[in-house]
Amino acid sequence: MTEEPYRWLEAIGNRREYIREQIKGGTPVFAVSRPEGILLLGVGQGQSKVFEIYDRHAFGALGHPVDIEKIRQAAIEAAHVEGFTRSSKDVTLRRLISFALSTTLKNSFEQIFSPPLMIESIFAELGETQDEDVLVRVHYDGHHRYETDGVVIAFSEAKQEEDAVAWIRRALKAKDSLAQVASVCLTAWQALVDNKPFAELNAPEEPLVKIEGKTVEAALLDRKLSGSVHYRSLDLNRLKN
Amino acid sequence: MNGDFLALLPKPPVAQVSASAPQIVQGTTVFAFHCREGVIIAGDHRATAGNTIFSDKTEKILELDSHSLMAIAGVPATAFEMARTLQTTFEYYRRSQLQSMSLQAKIRALSKLLRDNIPATLQGFGVVAPIFAGVELSDPKASPCIYFYDPLGAQFEAATYAGSGSGSGSIKSVLHYLEKWGDPPPAEMSLSDATAVAIRLLMTASEFDSATGGVNPERDMFATIKLLTRDGIRTVDIKEQERCWKEKAR
Repeated sequence: MTEEPYRWLEAIGNRREYIREQIKGGTPVFAVSRPEGILLLGVGQGQSKVFEIYDRHAFGALGHPVDIEKIRQAAIEAAHVEGFTRSSKDVTLRRLISFALSTTLKNSFEQIFSPPLMIESIFAELGETQDEDVLVRVHYDGHHRYETDGVVIAFSEAKQEEDAVAWIRRALKAKDSLAQVASVCLTAWQALVDNKPFAELNAPEEPLVKIEGKTVEAALLDRKLSGSVHYRSLDLNRLKN
Repeated sequence: MNGDFLALLPKPPVAQVSASAPQIVQGTTVFAFHCREGVIIAGDHRATAGNTIFSDKTEKILELDSHSLMAIAGVPATAFEMARTLQTTFEYYRRSQLQSMSLQAKIRALSKLLRDNIPATLQGFGVVAPIFAGVELSDPKASPCIYFYDPLGAQFEAATYAGSGSGSGSIKSVLHYLEKWGDPPPAEMSLSDATAVAIRLLMTASEFDSATGGVNPERDMFATIKLLTRDGIRTVDIKEQERCWKEKAR
């Protein structure tokens, strides 16, 4: 079948369609760079969507749980081998994604006779200052994009994802607390899941800290934590406004 | 995935040596004992090569993760590599398996590294005899524990105190005395009392062992002292040591 180029293109097209169809039910994950650190947030039903990768690195994803696990393990392995062989300073998102993860994803996507990795993901790297934070949006086919405006979302629908990022940027204020940032993300989460237009959406007056019937999972790559490990889970109910 | 970081490496992280041994950098006093707040673990700063003082600024109390400490005694090259291997092993396990490694597994991980190092140990080239302190986090009632090792990898739990290195003989005698007849014994001492005792012990060791040094409060040279509790590790910094020394030890 692949001997004929157009058949290969058709197979790749079908594969893309198949993956998008499979990922459709997935709920979005968020990462927002703030002065305190990078806030990561996801909402699920028991399964984790936000993970620690290395000392200053975290990951959030939607998709098939097994595929999320594969990419999570690949990222953790690559980061730890690099950190041990060289040093933790040599573990950078740019190298991790360019040399370890996006090639894995692209190869998997183009191997049309094997099952694809069904995953949409975000990666975050904590810098010394907010300006040095790195956020990356990584797609199932290995394509990736560096976000420079401090907000990144992974969702199955590109247009809605773009609208949500723009809305969050507008809704956030410089002095917002982490609870307010989380609340804005949860509002955007609800709008994405309910397919509501962002043009009519307002930030909630009372901070939103939970979604009925779901588990809100939040973590912070905390700039102030001393020691090498900067990742910590957050309990939104305990965050002060 | 089994969470075994060492399986990812192309060869064992601790070198297997068969060459004739060069002059070895070693000589140390490290020790740990229970105090009221938790486990206090301390060490001097001197590294020697034969009669030569190699460094008086060596850090021998190493944090392996948020609740594990290793005090190194023996050949620093091997000991530092073991500590680095364990740091990565524990963190890799925690992140990949989404749970902390059990205390028993951590204790055995160090034991395994020492066993893997037996060829170098038997040639007198890479002898390491560390002390390990950790807490079993999955048991809400567990308190910090101290383990000490022989260079071949056997591990022993220390009920009260442990010491290692060339200067440890004299301080183990003092700790035994304090344990038996001290009022209060080290296990009932406050952190500031225990800190003052730790500094005194290191100064005592340096009187009898030329390979122990780098601690002299009169010259603003303080030890590395850390406290391990269920809440984690706290470094007793120079200011705090100075205060304890002035209040209690002089």
